[in-house]
Parts: sequence; C-alpha cells; structure tokens
Amino acid sequence: MRKLLDGHNLVDRDWIYGLMTQSNLFNRKERGGKIFVSPDYNQTMEQQREITMKRIWYLLENGVFKGWLTESGPEAELRKLALLEVCGIYDHSVSIKVGVHFFLWGNAVKFFGTKRHHEKWLKNTEDYVVKGCFAMTELGHGSNVRGIETVTTYDPTSEEFVISTPCESAQKYWIGGAANHATHTIVFSQLHINGTNQGVHAFIAQIRDQDGNVCPNIRIADCGHKIGLNGVDNGRIWFDNLRIPRENLLNAVADVSSDGKYVSAIKDPDQRFGAFMAPLTSGRVTIASSAIYSAKVGLATAIRYSLSRRAFSVTANGPEVLLLDYPSHQRRLLPLLAKTYAMSFAANELKMIYVKRTPETNKAIHVVSSGFKSVLTWHNMRTLQECREAVGGQGIKTENLVGQLKGEFDVQTTFEGDNNVLMQQVSKALFAEYVSCKKRNKPFKGLGLEHMNSSRPVLPTQLTSSTLRCSQFQTNVFCLRERDLLEQFTSEVAQLQGRGESREISFLQSHQLAEDLGKAFTEKAILQTILDAEAKLPAGSVKDVLGLVRSMYTLISLEEDPSLLRYGYLSRENVGDVRREVSKLCGELRPHALALVTSFGIPDSFLSPIAFNWVEANAWSSV
Amino acid sequence: MAVEMASRSQVLVEEKSGVRILTLNRPKQLNALSFQMISRLLQLCLAYEEDPSVKLVILKGLGRAFCAGGDVAAVVRDIKQGNWRLGANYFSDEYILNYVMATYSKPQVSILNGIVMGGGAGVSVHGRFRIATENTVFAMPETALGLFPDIGASYFLSRLPGFFGEYVGLTGARLDGAEMLTCGLATHFVPSKRLTALEADLCRVGSSDPTFASTILDAYTQKPRLKQQSAYRRLDVIDRCFSRRTVEEIISALEREATQEADGWISATILSLKKASPASLKISLRSIREGRLQGVGQCLIREYRMVCHVLKGEISKDFVEGCRAILVDKDKNPKWEPRRLEDMKDSMVEKYFTRVEEEGEWEDLKLPARKNLPAIAISKL
Repeated sequence: MRKLLDGHNLVDRDWIYGLMTQSNLFNRKERGGKIFVSPDYNQTMEQQREITMKRIWYLLENGVFKGWLTESGPEAELRKLALLEVCGIYDHSVSIKVGVHFFLWGNAVKFFGTKRHHEKWLKNTEDYVVKGCFAMTELGHGSNVRGIETVTTYDPTSEEFVISTPCESAQKYWIGGAANHATHTIVFSQLHINGTNQGVHAFIAQIRDQDGNVCPNIRIADCGHKIGLNGVDNGRIWFDNLRIPRENLLNAVADVSSDGKYVSAIKDPDQRFGAFMAPLTSGRVTIASSAIYSAKVGLATAIRYSLSRRAFSVTANGPEVLLLDYPSHQRRLLPLLAKTYAMSFAANELKMIYVKRTPETNKAIHVVSSGFKSVLTWHNMRTLQECREAVGGQGIKTENLVGQLKGEFDVQTTFEGDNNVLMQQVSKALFAEYVSCKKRNKPFKGLGLEHMNSSRPVLPTQLTSSTLRCSQFQTNVFCLRERDLLEQFTSEVAQLQGRGESREISFLQSHQLAEDLGKAFTEKAILQTILDAEAKLPAGSVKDVLGLVRSMYTLISLEEDPSLLRYGYLSRENVGDVRREVSKLCGELRPHALALVTSFGIPDSFLSPIAFNWVEANAWSSV
Repeated sequence: MAVEMASRSQVLVEEKSGVRILTLNRPKQLNALSFQMISRLLQLCLAYEEDPSVKLVILKGLGRAFCAGGDVAAVVRDIKQGNWRLGANYFSDEYILNYVMATYSKPQVSILNGIVMGGGAGVSVHGRFRIATENTVFAMPETALGLFPDIGASYFLSRLPGFFGEYVGLTGARLDGAEMLTCGLATHFVPSKRLTALEADLCRVGSSDPTFASTILDAYTQKPRLKQQSAYRRLDVIDRCFSRRTVEEIISALEREATQEADGWISATILSLKKASPASLKISLRSIREGRLQGVGQCLIREYRMVCHVLKGEISKDFVEGCRAILVDKDKNPKWEPRRLEDMKDSMVEKYFTRVEEEGEWEDLKLPARKNLPAIAISKL
C-alpha cells in the first residue's frame, strides 16, 4: 500500500529520510527510547532562518539537487517532486526555501527564459552559486497578478530596462528568500513600451552582491515574524529606477528589440498572459501534494495516539476504553483518513499529468490543479485542527507537531492563488466549456465532462448498503451533482445576463452555485483517481481495504454536502441511509486504521512522540 | 540421538543460581554457528524466558573466537546440490533466533572476547549487554563473500552514528573493542583478565531487572582510547562519502577525498569496495537505508527475502563464487557477475526486495509473537 500511496521514487525518499536522521543538523532527539527529528520551533526567527539554510547546504553537498534544472523529462521531474515532498514532511520552511529557489526562480528562468538565460543561470542555480527568489506579489496585489503596479520602461540609448516602484502599494511583499539570503530575483512588472502598457512581464534583477550587500537602487525590508514558516526569510522590495540590461527580459513569449520595439508571437494579450503563466502550475502541483503529506503526519499521529490512549470506562469497574474504540472518535478521524487517501491518489495523478504535460493539456491541468490545490489545502487545515483536538492537551505541545503544523501550513490556502479565487476559476472554466459545446452543438470532451453526453443518471430510491458501496452508484451521484449544478449555474448566469447584467457581474451574483459546482467538479475528479487506483489492483486484501476507503470517501463527501438535499438529488431518507452507512464504515475501517497510517510510509522519526510510547517519552528519567 | 548429543555438546550450558552461562563450543571452527547450534540456542532462550528461576543469560565462546559467523560453507553445499531451500531454512531459523534475542524480556550478556563476525554479531549485538575486550575483532564481511550484512544488521548498523553503518557494512571493515564501544556496538569494555571475576559477580544477580546487571558491568567497564589510525576518527570523511545516494557516488566521493590527502585508510577503503561483489554492495546499501526506517522484525523479514534471492542465484551467483574464492579454494580472486557496478541495474537490485515467487510454497519469515514488551526490552544502541 505504501508503494501505491507514495507512487514513485521510494528509494530516493528513503535516502533523504536517512540523510536527515543521521545528521546533527536536523534537531535529532530521543524520546521514550526512540529517535525523532523535527525542527526546533522554539528558536528565534533569525536562528530558524539560519538553520534552514544550513540544512539546505547539507542537502546540496550531498547531491540532492543535482540535475533539478539541467535535466528534463518526466523521470527527472518526478524525482525532484519526491525529494521536495520529503523536505516538506520534515519542515515546510525547508521545502518553501528550496521550492522558491528551484521551482519559482529556477523554473521561471527555464520556461520564461531562452537559451541565453539557461546558459547563464541554470547551472549556477543548481549549484546555489546564485540564490534566487520570485518577486511577483505586491502589497496591493496578490491573486490578481495582472493588476500589479511595478512599472518597467525601456531606455534605447543605454539598452536597459528601468524598473521602479511607483507607490507604496507596489512594493513587492512576501518574497521568500529576499529578506536575508537571495542574490537574484525574478521581477514581475507592467512593461511600458513607447507609451503603451504591454502587460505583465518578467525580468531578472540582481538584488545582492556575493558578499550579501543589497545592490544600489534597491531597498529591502523584512516582512517580520509570522504565525509559522519562520525558517523562511520573507522580504519586501522597492525598486528605485533600477537599471538592468535588455537581455534580462525573460523573452520566451515576448521580446523588446534593441531599438525598443515590442514583439510577440502571441498577439492577444490575454492569451499571451495565459501562456506566460502556464509554468506556474508546478506551484499548485507541489502545494497540493505537500498538503496531503502534512495531513498524513497529523493523522498518523492522531490515529496511533488513539490506539494507545484510554479514557473513561463504559462498565462499572471495567478498563478505560481506547479512544479509537469510541464511535464518535472513529467518526472524527476515519472519514478524514479516507479523504486523505483519496486526495493522495488525486495528488499523484496530478503530478503524473503535470510531468507528462503538452501544450494541449495545459488548460485542463490549469483547471484541475486549481481545484485540487484548493480542496487539498483546505482539507489539510481541517484535518490538522481535528487531529489537534483528537490528541487533546498533547496537541498543544509544539514538539508534538500536530498543533504547530497548523501555523506552518496555513499559508497554503492563500499563496499561489487564494483558494476562493482558484475555485472560481474552476467554475468559470466549466461554464466556458459548457457554453462553447452547446453553441457548437458538439459533444463534451475533456475536463471529465464526457458523462454529460449520456443521459442523465437516475438514482435508485432505495439505497441499500451494497448500492451505496457500489462504484457505479457513487460515480452516478457525483456525475449527477456536477451535471445539475453546471446546468443550474449556466442557466442562472444566462438569466442574469438576460436582465442586462454583464457576464462578470452575473458570475459574482451566482457565486454560491459557482462554489457548489467547483467543489462538485473537484470531488468527482478525486473520486476518479481513487477508482482508477483501485481498478488496477489484483483481487486481494489491499484492493478490498481500498474499496472500503473509497466508499468512505464518497459517502462522507455526500453526507457533508447540503447540495444533495437542497437540489433534491437524494431524499431525506436516502441522506439518512448515507449517514448510517458512514457509521458502519467507521466500524469496518477501525481494524485497519494502524495499517492504513503505517502505509503512509512516513518513518517513525518524522512523526510526533505521542504516536508511540508517550508515557515513556514523558517519564521523569527523561527530564 | 547422536544429533541431539552433537547439538548439546556444541553449546555448553552451566547453571549458576539465577544465571545460565551458554558457551559456544566449536573452537576448531572458531565457533561458527551450525544449524544444530542455532536450534539449540533458540530452544534454550525460549525455555529460559518462561522459567522464572532464570534471571540472566551469559553467552560466550570457547577458544580465541566468540563466533566467526554462520556456517555458510554448509549452505553453499546445499545450493550446489540444488537445495537452496535447505539453506533458506538455516537462515530463517537463524533470523528467528536473532529476533528472539532482540525482543528478549531478560538481559543477555555477550562476552565478545575474540572474533565476532557476521552470524556471531547476530547472536550478540541484539542482546542488551555486549562486553568487548582487548581481544575483540568485529566485522560484517559479507560483501566480500557475495552475500550482504544480514542477521538484523540492517537494523543495528543503520543506527550507528552518521553513516558509519554504511561504512562498516559495505567495506567489511574490522573494528576492535575500543571502536565497538565508542560507536555503540558494544555496551561495555572489560579487560580479558577480569572476565572471570566479572562472571562470578554477574552470577550473583537475583533479578531480571537489567539495572542490577548494569550496575555490576558499570563497575568493571573501562573507556579505552581509540587507536590513532582508527576509522572512527575519520567520521567526517565517512559521513561525507557514505551518505551518497549510490555506491558509485560513494566511491567517487572517496576518490575525491583521496586526491586531497594521500591517506592509506582512504585507499584501503576504496580498495575493499572495489574488490567486493557489485551486486552485494548495491543490495547492502539499500538494505541498510531501508532498515534505518524500520523495526528489527521488519528488517529481518526483508533480509529473509533478500537471502532467499541470493540463495536461488537467479540474479547473481556471487554467493557461491565468493565462498569458493574466499573459503574453499582460498584463491581470494572471485569472478563476480555482474562484474561492474554499472551492470548491476536498479531493476536487478529491486528483485532482491520482492517476495519469492515459487512453484512450491514460499512464505515470508514468520516471526514468533512476542508479549507486549517494555521499551527497555528492545535492543537499542
């Protein structure tokens, strides 16, 4: 099962786990006779930033980052993703610093830049000769990249671009790496050529020299202490008419000639912007995956704890009952476990389609990655909170990780696109697809909408246990929900437009249906990935257990969604049947709980001490 | 009856109030573990665990060795007769013995007054107390034989400081008593002339609570200095090189270090890697890395799969060839196949870690159920 869940590069993952446990740099400690490695969150912000860089140097020296930018192809990319995931399991700060340098700075050079940029920067990035960061977000603009206010003009006499921060809201903000370490940055800015704003473009600028002094015409300030991720030195940047050579424009999509003429192969500014932003999908892919690993750490800890901790007896003089033997405790954790499993398959599928991407699949990847990033990061936050509560007071101890991870991972719901904004993009894309297919009278193809070409599924009125667990029924419900919501949404928007509202305003007013639709689309896409994984398995115990997990995912999703009753897909009785089935599944999954969390493949030393002998870990002899 | 007598004489038993002293008695073979010795040790250990009058078990060897290893020559004879399963039975019994010792609920004191290698480490390092002396010579020499450090070595080697475990397991380097103590393989160091007195004091232990034995041992133990040229003084180089992802990268890293300082130790290390079986090196590295993240039981189960594949000889026949060159013909010139590291592909390595597909029945190693043990009963370094 571990092979299924991790999906790829198991030996590489084990190598990094080993590198971290055997070194003194990763805060190795003994609790209750076992070794644990986890960051010391009690260190000051400065100390955490410093030790995070030291950890990265150690990994660099061991050749962990070899080939991350100079090799290409799905195998190399999957290996990078696996190694990054293990970094994130240890500490989100480490993976963010590494991610910013390689996936944001590095990938920008690789995909926005051309040969001259690759030759000058890629190897130096891989070897950390330069330390890169990514200045896109501003104080006044985050998710709305197109609205950023940094301005760049061109000076044909010196063949230089001039970058400036015209007002305070234009200062670059939250730039990871900028406050202390980074020497270079990608700068996103509006490009004004001959009085025309050609839109957002990316440039390379040096911000520090090799001795660490900030370059002239640049001001940098610290973003300050955060609720988590204090191993990342986020900075703010102002550009005071900074001059950079013309060659520093990353010109894969558009260019400026030496005499100052703007040229681009893509004439339409919207399309140009879209092509420009496509490489940023990797961020959503890595975030989705790391969110699920964080949830796995939380669940492995909470479930293991609940298998050794007892509270209250239910009979006079009887022994106290194990937490996980309480139906209510099962109900709190096991559905989250099932969702985490399903989302784990979804994250792996997303990685696979990402590494095998082609220009034709980019649009679908954009939609799916937006949906997955949002749903998976929200799920992680919810799971961590539940796990924190499920382990009681022990969850308040920083060293026990579960509570601390909330602060560390919270930002995932915001960066790389606010979740709410991303989900709207999902619904807008589905809307556009629907309208386009209806207008051209063509069948639906792509985005998983093919089911709309068949007749509307009819759900049985009687829902027995076997019906509820049947994959065909489950698929039908999810398809019906998606179809109906898509039709309702498009119909409501059309109505509003018919009354004279603009399309954009109509979207805003139909936001509730849009949200329901986005969620329905994403949950169905997730279901498909776990069904696919299950189908590939030979008959046997692993397949059986996975089937139980899959049913739990489906049924808990249905139980928690008011749409089912609101729009009448299920009757009140049916909804009761679903709820009862969830309880049944809790009891059936209970015996597999330990095996299911062990299959996450996270070594004991990366979990919390309360997942093991928490009495021994707290014994007086260890004080 | 004769076999019974043989096994009874190969392991001598003395009872001294609450203590049982087991002496490995095959001095002409340096106490190499025969199938009978393993069965006898297992039988005795399990019996002593149930017997409340037994508080402590002492294990030692007769003659100049503690135990030089498992009886691999016999296993190779089985393979040559087409009987790899007999060899597999040997190892499964041996690993079960290792597991019982690793999860033993009473203290075991092993007196390593001489050679302790391979299988000898298996019946001692997993126990709670390991006493090294000035005569101790430890090694896990399997990669030179076409095998891999088994007997639960993937568990204890991986838990040595830094990447010392990879160094010891891949190179087959020899460690003396002081080095064993420093790195944690031994728990105490007692000069051999004091062993008789130590044994007499241990025999007065009246409880299976390990603190009693520990107090006595702490009174006898010394802290000898590491020799000047000890590999353990080169931990910085070892950590830099043996942390590498692959065997090839480990060797390159060592070669880079060698260019920076002309050093006999580095060259000797590189040489031992270049002489070892490439197949063995790669599976050993992976075994230790996986073992670092697993409990001792999981390690033994995994090692059993690996050893069965070694015995079957379908991917490589290096075990037979290694035993021939080192133990039988003693020409010390094994012809490994694959000959070069590059020819030992990841897909071939992967096969060693999978279940064995056999027409007859093959099962994963079945470990005996052990009662809920407190943390102290689990072997640790």
